Amino acid sequence: MANAPEKWKRQIGGELVIPVLAIVFTLYYFSTIIDAPWTAQVNAFGIGAVLLILCVAFIIRGLALVARGDGSFGMANLFTREDIQTGRIWLLVATVAYCYFIVDFGFTLTTFLFLLISMLILAKGKQPLLILFVSAVMSLCGWALFIWAFDTRFPRGWFEETMRMVVDYG
Amino acid sequence: MGDTLNILGEVFLNTISHWWIILPTIFVGLIVGGIPGFSAANTIIILMPLTLAMDLETGLIFMVTLYASSRMGAGIPAILVNIPGTAGAAATPLDGYPMSKAGKGQQALAMSFVASSLGGLLTTVIALATMPLLARVGFYMHSVEMIVVMLFGISLIAAIAAQDMLKGLIAGFLGLMIGSIGTDVIYATPRGTFGFLELYDGVPLIPALVGLFAVSEAFVIIEKRVILSEDGEVAMKTPNWRDTFEGVRMAFARWVHVIWTSLIGLAIGVIPGAGASIASFVAYQQSRTYSKTPELYGTGHPEGLIAPESANNGVTSGTLVPLLVLGIPGGATAAIMLIVMQFHGVNFGPGLFEDNPQVGYGMFMAMMIAYLFMILTILPLSRYMSRVTTVPTIYLAPMIIAFTLVGSFVPREYMFDMYLALAFGVIGYIARRTGYHVAAILIGVILGPLLETYFMRALRISEGDVMVLFSSTLGNILWVCLVLTLTLPLVFDWRRKRKEILGK
Repeated sequence: MANAPEKWKRQIGGELVIPVLAIVFTLYYFSTIIDAPWTAQVNAFGIGAVLLILCVAFIIRGLALVARGDGSFGMANLFTREDIQTGRIWLLVATVAYCYFIVDFGFTLTTFLFLLISMLILAKGKQPLLILFVSAVMSLCGWALFIWAFDTRFPRGWFEETMRMVVDYG
Repeated sequence: MGDTLNILGEVFLNTISHWWIILPTIFVGLIVGGIPGFSAANTIIILMPLTLAMDLETGLIFMVTLYASSRMGAGIPAILVNIPGTAGAAATPLDGYPMSKAGKGQQALAMSFVASSLGGLLTTVIALATMPLLARVGFYMHSVEMIVVMLFGISLIAAIAAQDMLKGLIAGFLGLMIGSIGTDVIYATPRGTFGFLELYDGVPLIPALVGLFAVSEAFVIIEKRVILSEDGEVAMKTPNWRDTFEGVRMAFARWVHVIWTSLIGLAIGVIPGAGASIASFVAYQQSRTYSKTPELYGTGHPEGLIAPESANNGVTSGTLVPLLVLGIPGGATAAIMLIVMQFHGVNFGPGLFEDNPQVGYGMFMAMMIAYLFMILTILPLSRYMSRVTTVPTIYLAPMIIAFTLVGSFVPREYMFDMYLALAFGVIGYIARRTGYHVAAILIGVILGPLLETYFMRALRISEGDVMVLFSSTLGNILWVCLVLTLTLPLVFDWRRKRKEILGK
C-alpha cells in the first residue's frame, strides 16, 4: 500500500483567508465607530455581528474537518507553483506599475508598455515581434476609440497631447 | 393604458432608430461571449468607458444588446469544444458537444441560436406585457419589506448559486460590510475608511466591479495557455449552408419545447441570485423528466440542447424584473447595469415607472429588438464567430487588465480608484480560488448603503424600536421565506446523507 495515492484533503488554509480578512476588517470597522453616534453604529454593528458569527462558524467547521482528518491547513488552492510558472506574480507587479506610471505617461504609452511587458512575461519571451505589434495596435486602437473618437476621460500624457496637436493643427 | 401604449410606441421607434448600435453590438457580444470564462458582465465592464461616454439611451441599448448577445455567444465554445463560455452555458455541452462530435456542429450551433433568440424574444414580450402589473409590487414595498428583500437576495445567492451556503453568506455579508464604508448619513462620521478621503462618499462601485470580475478573471485565465484544442479549431473551419438550415428547421420543429423551457428561464430569472446556470440545469432536468426518450439525453439529443439554451436566454429578461421594480440586481450583469445607469442619474426601484418610464420600458424594448435582429443577422455569420476562442490567454489577460483598470479611473478621475480596483481584484482572485462567490460580494457592496438607508428610515418611523422589522404582514411572510431559503437546503442535504447511510 506504500504506493497508494494519499487521500485528498480539503485545503482549509486557503478557504480561511476570506473569513479571517472579514473578521479583521469588521473589528477595524467597529473600532472606527466605537465613539460615534448610535445612528452611525446600529447598521454596522448588526451586519458586522452576523458576519462575525458566520466567520466563526466557518472556522469551527474547518477546524472540525481538520480534526477528522478530512482537511488540512494547506493553501494549495490559493498559492501554487503555477503562480511562478505562469508568470502571475510578475503580471501582478506589472499591473501595480501600470497603475503607478499611467498618471505620468498617459494611457496610450503606459498601456503599450504594460501590454508589451506582460505579454512577454506570459509568453516567456517568445514571439517578441508579434507581441510588439499586438501591443502597439491595441494601445493605438484604445487611443483612437476611447480618446480620439469618444473623448473619454482617460489619463493623458505626452503621446495624447502630441496627437491632440497633430489632429487639431494638422 | 393609453399612456403606456404611447410610451411603448415611442420607445419602440426610438430603439429601432438605434439599429446602428444594435447591429455591431450583437457581433461584439457574440464574439466576447464566446470566450470561455468571459461573461456578459465582464464584456460590459471592459466596454464600460464607452458606455459612460454614450448618452443614456444609447448606453442602455448597447448594454442590453450586449447582455443578450453575449449570453447567446457563450453557447458557441460549449457546443464546439465542450467549454462553456459562461456558467450559464454549462448545461449546453451535455448534448451540444456530442452533436459536434457526431459531425453536426453546424446544426447544433444554428439550433442553439434559433432556440436562444426565440426563447429570449418570447420571455421579453411576456415580461414587457406584465410589467405594469409587476411594477405595482413596488408600491407595497416599504422600508421593512425592502430590508427583508435585500437580505433575501443575498441569502438566495448563498443558497442557490454558491456551492457552499456558509461561504455564500460570508461573501454577501462581507460585501454589505464593505458597502457600509464611508460617512454616516446623519452626522457624517467617517467609518472604516482607512483614512482615505476618497472613501468618505462610500466605496465607488465601478472599481469594485472591475476588480471583482475582470481583473480577478484575468489572473485566473492565464493558467490556460491556449483556450482551444486542435479539434475545436478544425470544427470551426468547415462552414456549410445546408447544415445551418437543417439546424434552423430542427429548432422550429420543436417550438413547444422552446416555449416551455424559456418560461422556466423567465421564472428563475425573476428570483434574485438565481441565474442562467441554475435555469439551464433546471430546464435540462425538466426537459429530460417529461421526455418520451430520456435515454437519448446526453448523446446529442436536440431537445437536450434546446432546453438549456432557451432557458438561459429566458433568464435575461427575468433578471431585469427585480432590477427595474425593486432596484435590486438579480445577478452580476444586472448589478453592472444598475451601476452604469446610476452614473447617468437614473435610479431603479419602485418610482422608476413613474419618473422614467422610457428607461423601464426601454430596457425590455431594446432586448426584444436585439433578439429580433439577432435571428436575422447571426445565422449567416455564426459559423465564423467561434474562431475567437483561438485567441491565446497571453494576449487576452493583459488586454483585459489594461482596459478595465483604466475604466475604473474614468467616473471620478481619481488614481486611487485604479488601486482600489486592483485591491478588489486581489480579493476577487482569492475568492474565486477558494470557492467564494464574487457576485455575492458585489451585490453586497451595492446593497450595503441601500440597506442602511432603509434600516435608518424604518428606525426613525418606529422611534428606534428594532421590532419594526417584524411589524408588517408582507415583511413577515418574506422573513419566513428567507428562513426557509436558508434552512430547506440544509434539511434536504441532511435527508440525502441519511438516505445514503441507510442505503449502505
